This record gives sequence, C-alpha cells and structure tokens, in this order.
Amino acid sequence: MRSGKFRLGWDKGIILLLVMLILFGGMSNNLFLAGDNINFIIGDISEVMLIAFPMALLIIVKEIDLSVASNLTLSSAVIGITWHGTGSMWLAVLAGLLSGSACGLLNGLLVTKLGLSSLAVTIGTLALYRGLCYVLLGDTPVADYPTEWTDLGYVPIPGTFLPWVIVPMVVAALLFWYVLHGTRMGRWLFAIGQGDEAAIFSGIPLKRVKLGLFVLTGFMCGVAGLAYTVRFASSSPDGALGYELLVIAAVLFGGVAIAGGVGTIWGVVAAVLIWGFSRSYLQLAGWDANALVIVSGLLLLLSVTIPRLLSKIRDAVAHRSSRPTGRGGAAPPPGDTAEHLSPAVAGHDQGSHRG
Amino acid sequence: MSKVMRIREIPILLALLLLLLLTGILNPAFRTGDGMTAILVESALIGFLAVGQTNLIIMRHIDLSVSSTAGLVSFLVGNYSANHGGVTGGVALAIALGVGAAVGIVNGALVAFLGLPSLVVTIGTLYIVRGIFNYLASGITVTADQLPPYFAWIGSGSFLGIPDLFWVAVIGAAIMTLVLRYTRWGRDLYAIGSNPQAARRVGIPVPRREFAAFVLNGCIAGIGGLMLLSRFSFADATSGLGIELYVVAACVIGGVAIAGGVGTPAGALIGAVLLQTIAFALGALGVSQFWQQAVAGALLVVAIAFDRIVAMRSTHRATRLVEVPV
Repeated sequence: MRSGKFRLGWDKGIILLLVMLILFGGMSNNLFLAGDNINFIIGDISEVMLIAFPMALLIIVKEIDLSVASNLTLSSAVIGITWHGTGSMWLAVLAGLLSGSACGLLNGLLVTKLGLSSLAVTIGTLALYRGLCYVLLGDTPVADYPTEWTDLGYVPIPGTFLPWVIVPMVVAALLFWYVLHGTRMGRWLFAIGQGDEAAIFSGIPLKRVKLGLFVLTGFMCGVAGLAYTVRFASSSPDGALGYELLVIAAVLFGGVAIAGGVGTIWGVVAAVLIWGFSRSYLQLAGWDANALVIVSGLLLLLSVTIPRLLSKIRDAVAHRSSRPTGRGGAAPPPGDTAEHLSPAVAGHDQGSHRG
Repeated sequence: MSKVMRIREIPILLALLLLLLLTGILNPAFRTGDGMTAILVESALIGFLAVGQTNLIIMRHIDLSVSSTAGLVSFLVGNYSANHGGVTGGVALAIALGVGAAVGIVNGALVAFLGLPSLVVTIGTLYIVRGIFNYLASGITVTADQLPPYFAWIGSGSFLGIPDLFWVAVIGAAIMTLVLRYTRWGRDLYAIGSNPQAARRVGIPVPRREFAAFVLNGCIAGIGGLMLLSRFSFADATSGLGIELYVVAACVIGGVAIAGGVGTPAGALIGAVLLQTIAFALGALGVSQFWQQAVAGALLVVAIAFDRIVAMRSTHRATRLVEVPV
C-alpha cells in the first residue's frame, strides 16, 4: 500500500526520533555528548549492533536465530582457550571467527536440510552452545589477555574520541547496507520474505541463500564475541546472557517486519543507537537500571503497536471515503495471502503495516 | 501397535522409560526413588507452565513472558508475607491470579484484537514485567522464615509417593488435555492452529479464543509463581529468570509442534520430565557437570530433528497410501 500520499516510513521516523533524542539529551545534560560518553555508548552497543545486521536479514527472510548470544559467548570461549593454548592472539581470533561460523552452519543445516523451524532449532542450539562454553572454560574465566588487545575496547583511535570497536561496526553497516539495498542478493532476500514459493519459482536458490545467512549470522557472532572479549578483557561462560532477545527487539524496533519482506539497515542502525543513547541518558539522569529494561520493552511494544493502529485508522478512513465514489481503495483486503505463516511470527492480517 | 505408535506422546514416553531404565542399570543409587522424586520436583514448574504454553503453541502462538510473570508473583507473595507476618492461601492465590491475568490480558489484547505477532508482544512484556519486578525487588530477598509454613509443606510434601508440586502439574495437564480433546473450546484451538483462515471462515471466533488462551496462560504463570515460591522458599530479583525457553523446549520435546495444530498438554508435561531426566541421568552417570548442559542441548536438537524425520516419513507413507488407488 504505497499510496501517493505522504507517508513517514517507520525507518525515517526513528531516525528523526534519534536526532531529537540526541538534541534533547545534549541540551539537557552537558555530559551526554561528551567524547568520553560517546566512546562508552559505542562500546556498549557494539555487540548488539554487530549481530543486529545479520539478524535483520534473517528476519527479512522469515527466519530467526535465538542462539546468537550463546554463539557469541562460545566464540569468546574459543578465543580464550586458543589464546591459552597457543599464545597467539591472531590464531585465537581466527579460531573464534571459525567457531562462530561453524555454529551458524549447524543452525543453517538443521533449518534448510531438515526443514525444521528455526525458532525450535535455535532454542536447542542456544542450550547446546551455552553448554559448550562450560565444557571449554569450566568455571575459570580466561582473563589474562594482552593489553594491546584489550585497549581496543575503549582506547580512542588517535585524533578522535571513538574506540576501535567502531571500525568493524561501520564496515559491517556499510557492507550490509550495500548488500541489502544495492545488490541482486538484497532483492532476493526481500523476494523470499514476501513469499517463499514465488521466490523458488523465480529461480532463487532459497535454501542456499538461507544457509548462507545462518553462516553469516554465526560469523558476525564471532566478530561480536571478539568485541565482547576485548571490551571486558575476559571470556566467561555466563557472558552476554539474554542478548538474543535484545538483538531481536532492536531489529524489530528498527522497522524490520517480523512477518518478513520489509526492513532497512539504516532503521536497524538508528534503533540500536536510540537504545544505546536513551540507556546512557537515563543512566546519567540517575535512573534505576530496571527502568532501562522497562523502556526496552515499551519501545518494542510501541514499535509494533503504533504502526498497526495507524494502518487500522488509515484503513477505516480509506474505507469511509471510498464508499461514495467506489474508488481510492489504497488498502487491499488483508489476510488470505499468507496462510502458511505462523501468527506467532506474523500476527494475523500481516502485510503492509510498514512501508 | 502401529496405531499406538502414531500417538505422538508414546515415543517420548518410551524414550523416557528407556532412559530411566538405562540410568538405573548403570547407577544403582538412581534406583532408590530419591532420584525419581528429585526429577519430578524439578520438572513440576516447567511442566505446569508448559500446559498453558501448549494451548498457545497449538494455535501457532507463543508466550515468552511467563518467566517474568512467575518471578513477579513469587516475589510479590513472598514480600507480602514478609511485610504482614504471613499470607493466607486466599491472598496468595488472589495475587497470583490477579497479576497473571493482568499480564495475560495485555498479551491477549495486543495479539488477538490488534493482530500483533505474539513473539514480539511477549518479548516486550517479558522485559516490562521483568523490569517492574526488578525495580520492586531491588535489594530485597525473601527467605523461608518469612513465609508461612504451608509453602514449605507443599514444596517438599508428597502424596502416594509423588511430590505435591508434581501433582499440581499432573492435574493441570490432565484437565487441560481433556478440555482440549472433548470441549468445543479445545477443538477450536486445534482448528485455529491447523488452518487459521479456514477456522475464521467456518465461524470460529478466533480472536476470542486467542484472548482467552493468553489470559489462561497468564493465570497459569501466576500459579507457577506460587509453585516457584514453595519449591525454593526463597524469592529475589532473579526468581524465574530465563525459564521461558525451557518451557517452550518441554513443549517441543513433548510433541507440540511449533507449526501448530498438534500436541497435548500431557505430552508437554512428559517433555518437561524427559528434559529434567536427561539432566539427572547425566549427573548420575558421572558426566562432568560442565558437560551436562551441552549434552542436554545436543539431545534437544536431536529430539527436534528426530520428530521431524518421523513426521516426514509418516506423511510420505500417508501420501503413498492415498496415491496408490488413484
């Protein structure tokens, strides 16, 4: 329902919200936009941002990965034991990235080869990967990382106040933006999300694309695992607990429709930044940490409720104005198009609630 | 025999019995009955919550907010008792049902009447309820001496050799299984899960059924909070943290398909017991505690894959049977 009328898309809306938040925060608290605080915020959001990109692509093709936090921690554990075993951080980083990709590959094979629901599979591998962290590390975290590596987590790039972890974040943002919005692959992803069968009939290698996305998600968990290890200067088996829901919440708030087929990388970037900046603002204002949890939940609920309410109102208005003339039907009747979709993931009359 | 094997719960029950038998043979200490009692106590809460979750998964929905609801209830009841020098069963139940129904109404209204995806809505309420809970509970710990003694009695008591808490889960699962099988309301849930469009066209009030199932699940989560409190005689800001995924896992292992339309609460309860038995069996067999979660996770993945392979083979056979005469 891209009617000719002016419509503020969700992704543009939240970029506007982000700008307003930064302006308001900067004016009301002069610590908020200080270099140190920005440095802290960038580090704070780094893992969520890195994983949010591939998660956005997965959700666009109507899959999901709940094992990302466990996978991140497992990569961190692999980095830890490789560092202990070989004394080479470069080898350790390589091993961490490989471990992340391998876990993603296992998820992808279970989903594409056996045709299992990714929600069920990744609840299982969530437990499996977290368990492997305990196998590798036992109850002794690795914490003796060399300082030239742990410095990367917060020491600014010379001449700026930005930490080095911003480099993979920016590179990933640009690459994912290019792939999703500028290539044939990106158009395939949207096509898959809008209808599996149509995508198969038009010759898209659906299973290979999905398998690739799961491996990519695993790889990015490896990158995020490295960022986590470096920032906290330790690998422990109980790290990053619950991050999977945080990542999903950020992606959905960023305007990626859980029903698939809709989403932008800039929306995701803005959503993660809003989450990081508002968290920091509330912390500086002396708010309780629990308020932040409530705010995260509210943002997520509002991000699905408001567009749905708006589209209901718009439909009602269009319906009323179309009755006398018999035209102007901007809204096609909802439903009927996606009977195979789970409403847990799609809602009922899923479809064009985000432009 | 083959007809019996096609009941989804039977293979899971067989797997459970086989596992118990093997563990009993390999570790005689497991045979004393204490092991079984511990398994049943541990699986009671997950199993009871899985009963309510089954209703939703049958309709292709999910409710991840149950852990927060149960945790909040266990804290509120414990805290009430600590502040008022005790709590009567009536007040405890009222808090449980009140909080549970409130969360269920929010979830249900957003999902059923606004048509929002339940996964997103319940992750949202998971955070909101957990945040409210942690705010109220920050720095407060409720301990056994602040609770009336009946909590500990229920938590550690047993009837006919089966722990009281597990009885709660069994009764819940039995009632709900019968309701799903023999009432109009229950059949509607399966119809909605099998084909939501068709269900709507034949006149099933889909939103009302969804709303009711969410409110019911909220109430079940509230009562789960009371079980949590009796089990540990302890409540703080971490009560119930992270159990939502175990509840879903129990359903999936117990034969309730994420794709909707199949499964029973009884199966989900067996799934919860199997999940817990795996953990105990690994301990009893001398598997290092560090390996236990990994093996349990691997078995969960295998169980999900196995169920799918069996389902694929049986549909294959079914289509062949249909095709041959034609």
